[in-house]
Formats: sequence, C-alpha cells, structure tokens
Amino acid sequence: MPRPTATLSPLLRADGSASYTCPSTGCLIMGSVNGPIELPGRRDAQKPEEATLDVLVKPGTAQAGVGEKYVEGILKGLLGRLLLGRETGFPRRGIVMTLVVSGGENGGKVRRGESYLPILPALLHTLLLALLSAAIPMSMTYTATAVAVTSTGEIKGDPSVRDAASAVSFHVLAFSSKGHLLLSQSEGSFDLDLWEQVYEHAYATCRGSQPVTADGDISMIEDASGYNLESFVRKTVEDQIHHDYSWMNNDA
Amino acid sequence: MSREVPLTTAEHDFIVEALKRNVRLDGRGIDELRPLNISFGDEYGHVKVQLGHTSLIVLMSAEVVKPHSDRPFDGIFTVSLELTNMGSPAWENGRQSDLEQNVTRTLDRVIRHSNALDTETLCIMKGQSCWGIRADVHVTNYDGNLIDCACIGIMTGLQHFRCPDAVVKDGKVSVYSIDERVPIPLNLTHRPLTITFHTFHDGELILMDASRKEELAAEGDMVIALNDAGQVCAVYKTVGRPVGAVDVMRKTSIALQKVQEIKNTIQKALDDDQSKRTRRNVGVEANSANDR
Repeated sequence: MPRPTATLSPLLRADGSASYTCPSTGCLIMGSVNGPIELPGRRDAQKPEEATLDVLVKPGTAQAGVGEKYVEGILKGLLGRLLLGRETGFPRRGIVMTLVVSGGENGGKVRRGESYLPILPALLHTLLLALLSAAIPMSMTYTATAVAVTSTGEIKGDPSVRDAASAVSFHVLAFSSKGHLLLSQSEGSFDLDLWEQVYEHAYATCRGSQPVTADGDISMIEDASGYNLESFVRKTVEDQIHHDYSWMNNDA
Repeated sequence: MSREVPLTTAEHDFIVEALKRNVRLDGRGIDELRPLNISFGDEYGHVKVQLGHTSLIVLMSAEVVKPHSDRPFDGIFTVSLELTNMGSPAWENGRQSDLEQNVTRTLDRVIRHSNALDTETLCIMKGQSCWGIRADVHVTNYDGNLIDCACIGIMTGLQHFRCPDAVVKDGKVSVYSIDERVPIPLNLTHRPLTITFHTFHDGELILMDASRKEELAAEGDMVIALNDAGQVCAVYKTVGRPVGAVDVMRKTSIALQKVQEIKNTIQKALDDDQSKRTRRNVGVEANSANDR
C-alpha cells in the first residue's frame, strides 16, 4: 500500500499550513489556514453566532471554475460539522482555508467536467493537517479514502486517476476519529451490497479494523505493521509536536 | 482591506534610523539580495523559488488553443498571478488587491511585452491552432519583493519547461505526449530579470531587495529590468520621492551585476536538475539534437 507523506507548518506567515503528497494520484497539495481573522470587507461573513468558513481550492495550472466551487462546497459542509466555530473569539470572524493543487498526471489540473473525487481524500487530509497546525478547535478529527470498483467487480483502494476514469463506480468516504461515517460521495452505478463492501474496505483503510459485523465478530485486516490512515495523521502530528518541543526534552 | 498591517511608529523609526547608518534589519548590505534558492518539481516547468522568506511556486502549462484572429501567426502566453490568503493573512481570497495589479502589470511589461518568449514559434497552424503557454504563480509566503521573486520564477520556468511536440500532416494537427516524443524547450529571445529598489530619506538612500517591513517603511520604489545582454528593458518609478538621474544610472549598473549573479544561480539550478534527470534516465533522450 503506497503511503502518503506530509509536512506540517511549512509556511511562515499562515497560522497553520500543511503540504501533502497523495501517493495514488501523485498530486501535491499545499494547504494554509488563517483563523480566526477579521473579514472587514464582507458583511455576509459577519455571522453573530459562529465563525464563517471560507474554503478556496486553487488548481495549479488553470483558472478556478465550477468543479472547484463544487468541491469547496463539499469541504465546507464537512468542516462546518467539525469546527467549533462558536468558541470565544470565533463569532463574527472567519476561518480562511486555501488549498493549492499541483503535480499529478495533468500537472494538478482537473480538466473541466472531470471529477474532483479522486483527489478529494488528499484535499481533506491536507485541510485536517493544516487545521491541526493552526490549532483551530475541532470536535474530532477524520480520515478519508477513495475506493474504485472496476468493471470486474473488484474493489480497489487508493485508485489512481486512470483507475478512477475506468471505474464503474467511484466512492469517497470519510470517517471521524470516533468511527462515524462523515462523508460519502459516490459516482457511477452500484447497489447497496456493493456499497457495504466499499464501506468496509474504506473503514479498514482509514481506521485499521473492520466495523463490527452483523454477527458481532470483529475481523482485523489491517496492514502487517498496523498502519492505517488514522495512525498516519497521528504520527505526523506527533512528530511535529516532538520536533517543536525538542528544546524542552532533555533526551533530544 | 487587503493591506498589510502597518508598522508601529517605533518600528518604522527604528528601521529608518538604522538605515541612516547603513544597517539593515537582517544585517545585509544596502545592495545585497537575500539568499536565493531555486528548486524543481518532478514535471517540467514546476519551479519553487525562495528569496529570503518570500517563496512561491511557478507552474507552467501548455495547451493547444486558437490564436487571436488579429494575430494568426502568434501563440499565446499568459502570466496568471492570484494572491491568496496563503501568502499573507492580509490578502483576501477572490479579491484583487493593488499589489496584485501592480505586480501583474510589471511582470506583463517586463516579460510578455518585451517578447522574452518568442510567441511566433508557438504557432502550429496559421489561424487554426497554436500553443497557449500559461505561467501560474502561487505565492506561498510573502516577505517583500514579490516582483523580483516572481520574475525569477517565471523566467526559470520558461527555461525549464518543455512543450509537447506537435506535427501538422495533411491539415491535421497531432500532438505527441511527453512519453511518445521528446518535448521541445521554449524559444526565448532574451532573459529579462527585474531588480527592485526602495527609497528612503528623500531618495538619498536606495535599497535593494527590501523585505516586507522595509517595504512598509519605504518612501517609494523603483524597478529596473535588465536582460542577460545588459540591455535595460524597463525602468519603473511608480510612487514616492523623485530619484536623481545619476542615482538611476548608478543603480542600473549595480542591478546589472545582480542580474548576472541571478542568471548564474538559475543556470546552475537548471544544470543540476538536468543532470539529475539524466541520471534518472528521463532526460537522456530529452536532447533537442535528437533525430526526429
């Protein structure tokens, strides 16, 4: 299983930032988060009860278009449920998140009419890491993965852009750190049984073990090393904290 | 808004007074650039530039498009620079700021209007199809002197980028992907680079490569663009106190030295990248002397 790589806080001026390389699609995403900040130019952003979320997805080599707006909507909807925008200091202010997509097969360009779903998990992970780096309060963290179902009915995790194009159905699922399903975006034709299999596969990729099946069994199918996406996020953040606080560790 | 937080009076005075004694905040000389670092991504035309703490990514891309009807022999070259919240918290997403306009216009003048990229070589078929070359500048960290940094990035990108090969046969255009045929480097007529100066103390002190704080404390600016042959391509003096002709001449000769220095840094970075690609066996056949 190819593993993603990420760097926390590579940028100096943004409150929080992360760069993330998606192994399956090869795209490199840079994310930054600023918040809470004033948005004086925008009356609509001054909500008296909670913070305004502003997500911008910027393609590497093209003008942003409808596809970007659509994926921004998905990201905003998901984050609106996780970010604690009612904490002190957040109402009437904004949390501004910017994602720049580069690299990948078309140089970070999702062509007009092409789906953003293959890189959606990468966008979600970049945002999560940038938010953690900016110390924005959240109720929980999440992990996301993409699953493609080929014409032979085979379920394929971590699909490349080419796999996604030839897939019969394509799914992106996100799970919270408590195991809830947070997001399910699907394309193509499939039935509920197939979706259940996709769900189990995605759950295992994200959280390591399969959910409890109907007969109460828990079957473990995690990587031999116990690697899953949640442990990846945890490890990345732990490493960064260890690095940041190395000045007070005697052993370092 | 879209404006940086202004300096406090104390900070402003400190910078200006220190400059009176030829001392800069970061200990540089008056005519000294911050350390310049250029690196490349995996694809052709993916350039990362760091000038001190200012850093940006330039991504080049090529697309077959229809040429403008009044210039059927010309290809299209566009520079797109959009300042987002990533570079500086003061920049608002989706709103054009004065800085953005200013930088875009200067880059347009210096690189595009001086015909640095020979757009006529981008023509594939007269009036039907041509290459549209696009340079996207993503500012990741802003600490002053965006113009020079972006100019270095775009010029490096133009030299690093390879355009896919396109062939016209029986009135039909076929484009070969990078894996099928050796891609072609762009044809550059000259390599202009800008050097930005800022003035202090009624134009008496002229400073090279100001950082963000120095820019905020400055009275005015001056941009000098020179190419590698030593020809002056453009001189801009948009705001602030007047600068004497002698000073402009003096600074131009200093700028020329710096342009040569930057050119060498770019060339070294390009050579290193080329040898890396050759080692990876990607660049072996990427030699335009190759027989087609």
